[in-house]
Amino acid sequence: MSYSCTSTGNSQDPSSSNKSGGGVNPGSCSGSSSSGVSSSNSSSSSSVSSGGGGGGSSASHSVRGGKSDSKPASAEAMKVKKGCNTTDVGVPVTTEEELLANTIITPEDVLGLQKITENYLCSPEDNIYNIDFTRFKIRDMETGTVLFEITKPPASDKGGEKRDIDPNAGRFVRYQFTPAFLRLRQVGATVEFTVGDIPINNFRMIERHYFRDQLLKSFDFEFGFCIPSSKNTCEHIYEFPPLSEDIMREMILHPYETQSDSFYFVDNKLVMHNKADYSYSGGP
Amino acid sequence: MSEHIRLSIALCRIGFYTCLRTLCCKGPPTPRPEYDVVCIGLSGAGKTALLSRLCSEGIDGIVPTTGFSIKAVPFPNAVLNVKELGGGCQGASNGGDDWRLCTYLFQWSHGNVQRSDNIKKYWSRYYQGSQGVVFVLDSTVSDEEMEACRSELHLALQHPQLCTLPFLILANHQDSPTARAVPEIKKYFELEPLARGKRWILEGSTINNMEAVRESFSQLIRLLEEKELRPGRI
Repeated sequence: MSYSCTSTGNSQDPSSSNKSGGGVNPGSCSGSSSSGVSSSNSSSSSSVSSGGGGGGSSASHSVRGGKSDSKPASAEAMKVKKGCNTTDVGVPVTTEEELLANTIITPEDVLGLQKITENYLCSPEDNIYNIDFTRFKIRDMETGTVLFEITKPPASDKGGEKRDIDPNAGRFVRYQFTPAFLRLRQVGATVEFTVGDIPINNFRMIERHYFRDQLLKSFDFEFGFCIPSSKNTCEHIYEFPPLSEDIMREMILHPYETQSDSFYFVDNKLVMHNKADYSYSGGP
Repeated sequence: MSEHIRLSIALCRIGFYTCLRTLCCKGPPTPRPEYDVVCIGLSGAGKTALLSRLCSEGIDGIVPTTGFSIKAVPFPNAVLNVKELGGGCQGASNGGDDWRLCTYLFQWSHGNVQRSDNIKKYWSRYYQGSQGVVFVLDSTVSDEEMEACRSELHLALQHPQLCTLPFLILANHQDSPTARAVPEIKKYFELEPLARGKRWILEGSTINNMEAVRESFSQLIRLLEEKELRPGRI
């Protein structure tokens, strides 16, 4: 089963762009397939300053207009914590080996990871809530152009047909973008997912992007409560910090050395783990 | 050096740096404040269509929302993180009139509606953390359905987690010949007595005039900004 992948951006010549976000050639992707779209943000924005090192300038940040009326965030509030650049203060460093030995993996556990994992930290069977990602789309907020969209075709299991596929095939997506992608300033990433019959009290996603084992950015989004048998979409806007020319050059010259881990938690327990890698060289 | 001079130099430096950054596109401009807003209303009111158009997205292929839809809607001076909640039945796979009657007061089970559970019972799970409310209604619905709208609006206005928040009420589908006029709706909803002391805006709307819709949302943003200036007041 393969994804339908539509790259619907402008077909303008990128060199004719006269502003930083414009004239981006659409990306393409090859996903091997069956069950789920990785919701990883292919906007692997680099927040590393040219001084190098992980403790770089703060990444995109949001100014929350005022306070909410309610008590401190409970499991049900939806919020995104952006710009978590490095290990959060107070979160102990963890390694993949340690976590694989645990029966349960929590959000704090993965926030301590310093590099991309070699293995998946859970199995496809751990997704007991039947969360299924059905669509992922990114668009350039400055022009409104949809840069990339991938939808999962409706389930069409042919009865009895047993195919010899890699069990992890549905958990990995490979993105291919052109160098112009790295010059985007603001990208809206939309994720659509369905949920099974059991209501979910606290659904949370933590996604970490690395370039060559260096953490570029960590996203943390709490969806909160999910209605049973629902289909939900979420779009959030990512502001890219400016990338130094050096970093961009490296990312372009070394396709697929930019990678991400997307971890999904229900009630603070890991239930899904997707992976992705990225090329910015414009070619396969 | 006196404090005054030092401060001036510091300010000059900040000003210079900011100009430099802006000119050289070295950094994003000061981020706009973000406000979390919940968008509710009965099925078919047009919530998804309005929000999609606000985000410059097409409205082909919109189906009834069967869960939540979170969108970050940009405005010149703010970003609204809008949590739109479906107004109808979960699990049902087709639209049509049987949807619109699926309210908390009436349960309809036509052939194709697989579940008669109603998403509205879950709305309050999403109220926490909201700073404002957008309530959308279809101005062309029957009297019976208008009654249901009124009930839902009143419930929301009185809900403990929403009762202190600014409300933007949009009487949608105003471009239809059968639409009730806004003053009539205002009277029918008894907003003057019922929402006294609260901050609310009632405007007509249609997806065919997005300029006006943006202006309505801008009014909401002003209310949201104001609230922050006087945090102690309810």
